[in-house]
Amino acid sequence: MEHVRPSTLDEALEGLAAPDAKALAGGQSLLPVMKLRIVRPSVLVDIGRLELGGVHMSENELRLGALTTWDELESAQELGRPALAALAECASGIGDLQVRNRGTLGGSLAHADPASDMPAVVLALGAQIVLRAASGERTVSAEEFFLGPFTTALGPAELITEVVFPLVEGSGSAYVKVEHPASGFALAGAAAVVRPDGGQSVALTGMGGQAFLLASDADPVDALPDAEIYGDRFAPVEYRRHLAGVVARRALDRARERMEGTDE
Amino acid sequence: MSESVIGVSRPRVDAPDKVTGATHFAADGHVHGLLHARLVLSTEAHALLQRVERDAALAVPGVVAVLTADDLPLASAGSDRTTEPLARTEVVFAGQPVALVVAESEAAAEDAVEAVVVEYEPLPAVVDVEDAMLPGRALARVLEEDAGGGDLESIHAGVDKGQEDGEEEQLSGNVLDTVHRNAGDATALLETSDVVVSGTFRTPWVYQAYIEPQVATAWLEPNETLVVSTSTQGSFVTQRELARAFGLPLERIRVIAEPLGGAFGGKLALMEPLAAGAALALRRPVRVVLTRAEDFQATNPASAQVTHLKIGARKDGTLTAIAARMIVDRGSNAGWGVEGITSLLVAGPYRWEAHEIRGYGVQTNRFTFGAYRGPGAPTAAFALETLMDELAVELELDPLELRLQNAVVEDDVGVSGNPFPRMGAVEVLERIRTHPLWQSRDSLPDNEGVGLAAGYWPGGNEPAAAVCRVNQDGTMTVVTSAVDMSGVNTGFAAIAAETFGLSPDQVRVVAADTATGPYSGASGGSKVTYTVGKAVLKAAEAAREKLLAAASEELEIAPADLEVVDGVVRAVGAPDHSITVAEISGKALRFGGRYEPIEGHGGSAQTRGAPSVAAHLAHARVDRETGEITLLAHVIAQDVGRALNPALVEGQMRGGAAQGIGWALYEELVHDENGQLLTGSFLDYAIPLAERVPDIDTLIVEVPAPDGPFGAKGIGEAPVIAAAPAIANAVAAAVGIRLRELPMTAPRVWATLEESGA
Repeated sequence: MEHVRPSTLDEALEGLAAPDAKALAGGQSLLPVMKLRIVRPSVLVDIGRLELGGVHMSENELRLGALTTWDELESAQELGRPALAALAECASGIGDLQVRNRGTLGGSLAHADPASDMPAVVLALGAQIVLRAASGERTVSAEEFFLGPFTTALGPAELITEVVFPLVEGSGSAYVKVEHPASGFALAGAAAVVRPDGGQSVALTGMGGQAFLLASDADPVDALPDAEIYGDRFAPVEYRRHLAGVVARRALDRARERMEGTDE
Repeated sequence: MSESVIGVSRPRVDAPDKVTGATHFAADGHVHGLLHARLVLSTEAHALLQRVERDAALAVPGVVAVLTADDLPLASAGSDRTTEPLARTEVVFAGQPVALVVAESEAAAEDAVEAVVVEYEPLPAVVDVEDAMLPGRALARVLEEDAGGGDLESIHAGVDKGQEDGEEEQLSGNVLDTVHRNAGDATALLETSDVVVSGTFRTPWVYQAYIEPQVATAWLEPNETLVVSTSTQGSFVTQRELARAFGLPLERIRVIAEPLGGAFGGKLALMEPLAAGAALALRRPVRVVLTRAEDFQATNPASAQVTHLKIGARKDGTLTAIAARMIVDRGSNAGWGVEGITSLLVAGPYRWEAHEIRGYGVQTNRFTFGAYRGPGAPTAAFALETLMDELAVELELDPLELRLQNAVVEDDVGVSGNPFPRMGAVEVLERIRTHPLWQSRDSLPDNEGVGLAAGYWPGGNEPAAAVCRVNQDGTMTVVTSAVDMSGVNTGFAAIAAETFGLSPDQVRVVAADTATGPYSGASGGSKVTYTVGKAVLKAAEAAREKLLAAASEELEIAPADLEVVDGVVRAVGAPDHSITVAEISGKALRFGGRYEPIEGHGGSAQTRGAPSVAAHLAHARVDRETGEITLLAHVIAQDVGRALNPALVEGQMRGGAAQGIGWALYEELVHDENGQLLTGSFLDYAIPLAERVPDIDTLIVEVPAPDGPFGAKGIGEAPVIAAAPAIANAVAAAVGIRLRELPMTAPRVWATLEESGA
């Protein structure tokens, strides 16, 4: 295995063009699967030195660099506002402090673990994901991005460079999960956004093959056929289905409280 | 006068080295020419080993050998982990070591493990312990006979097995051992009792989850002495096990117990036969280090258990009889199980007029059973203490008063048939009664509850010896072969300092090995402070006698008129007439010196047990919608005999309670129907993380052990026992449901709430 540490985005994209090349950001998903020998990249493109971090707030959007760590998301002052509170709330519940110091937004979205938290938040907030290849840049919506377990619209020689969140003034957001006591991954997690015009978005994660956005008027408990809900020895289908309703309602309630300023 | 050393909180003597990273653990030692071994683990739960194809592995650069059982110079047949460290012909659990890849580097060994191909002829996997007992069921081991478990059985408690009887129950060959304890007519008494409650309780296999995975290094000295440097709870027991495995005389085996990175019962002669066998076969130093994943699969966790229990009482709250049928899943361990101790402890610290208790040790194709803090005790307490709570509800009595009314006192005869020694069951319950949390139990918010439970550990005994040596500078070195598993060395320092007349910082404690040290048994069974500590006390007394004899000559004052205070010998009532310990020692330890070295040897052979009892209060909140349990507070009151060092005692109480929280809410090793481990990593196997353990209030109760050093008794195991039922009783108080299975995970709590309609 070859390890390269490019200093520019172009060099990184060049490195990723090799067959079975993998981008290494914080290493919190890739290194464990490499340790288990599930993934064996030919080239490890270490993008940690690229200028892909940063929290950039403008009047109508928030741009988060792909290398923004969970810890940075958790502690960013700009994210205190109700419209974006789900981001920091979600980040603060991921892994432990060590993981949050290393793990990155872009890395997590690219990995697309079906039980990871952040996909639900980017879906509910209606984020756009900016992808860069040697041939150029494209933007896909979060809904178009997640295709299945560990599967996304990201091409093999593409990198996520940033994630763009539209700002809806006066809205409230929240993320609520019930986590597996060992892994901390969501047995069921819900991100909710409530807007002043009465509109709302709810996305669920941990339920099946990928995080998904609920249709605006759908009851989360009825939204999915059993076959699409993941069940295991620890948390059977029936329990997960029930949890989906609980976390969705709690996330919506909290998002509404934030919007109305009635939260603590 | 100097202040007493005993009863004063001091930091652990090993803390500075551990905090600064100066401690060398067993995997840290540099050994010239070291080879690294990695295990090939069975992928089948039960199978005949057909063939181990090693050519591809041997072709990996750096690989020295691929060893199977036939390559190890094993002495006897046997089918325990000592005599069969690698499977010979029959694999009996998934994760059992079948081959050892030995290489010049860890990386080469790891690469080569993947290249070893093992062919199996699968056999039916026996995974359901209750089904496995039934006549005619498939056997978990079809080929080999067991050679007995050597010394390992007695380490944790050394209890009797109850009486043998002639009643024949139809059982399969998987039932390796039965225990029957009875007195009086329990069946008749239960039929006539005013209130009877019963239930079937299930507890899973539980992993010790020590921080340091298992590791051992072995090499041959030029004189053919086999040296084993290892992370173990006991050096002498390991020496004996290795002698049994390889047919070597004891004097040819030297076992060095390195500083222990956690064990909790799990580190007793599992890795040493592998490392030693490879070193003997290859005549080069070999180290075996497990990865965490291997440690989950290939070691010896606490056994799963099914307990059918029925207890009765009269209207006034007097307990009448207890009837129990306890099924212990031993996995592949044919040598020993916990059916003996769990069938004793299921009666709890209470008086019964009659009992009828049966225990069964049953083999399955799940792990090898091993010891884990209070083996057989948390499982028994979960059943008994849940039913005690239910009994209190039925009787409309306060659960604490019901327990207090029936708590054993000295000379009450237990189900062992022997009278209880002095034990503070009444005292710990009385201490709990006045605690604010107990007082507040009826005025909590909705969905919160406080639960109570109690449990005791009988405590073990084993003869031990120690040496106290005064150095030229007047400091003392205490030498024992006890492994410091829980801070015992810090206790030894206090015992020696107080007895001899030094301050604790003038005392060093060193661990010797089997070639150099006085005898000590393995650290386990809550016996080290009680037994080795007593030997240290006697050794310090012996050293003090020599000191006073010399000082008497120097000062021309009779020994009886001398005292030793902070390293100074002085005349009682005339402190100006004095000489320092260093001066006397200086006169002894030199060419032409005139006194015997100030050095004492002491031994102990405790015959009476010193049981420790602990009562827990748990304050829990249940989320009715998700089933999640949040612990808001926890209280433990424990009779510790005498707290030599309260800070360390409280540490043991907190650690035990935390592990009990693990039993209650998180920990479960699960196999599928084919015997494949489903929860073999910390991503699947939950432990009580710091953020989930509430503040634990520790209440030290001191009911001195008559034979213990300064009244101290073993305290390590008692605090884990009754934490889980206290939490279960708190859940019942909060939302009115009784879970019959541990751990009480959120999905189980939710499902039970749904069923109950509560």
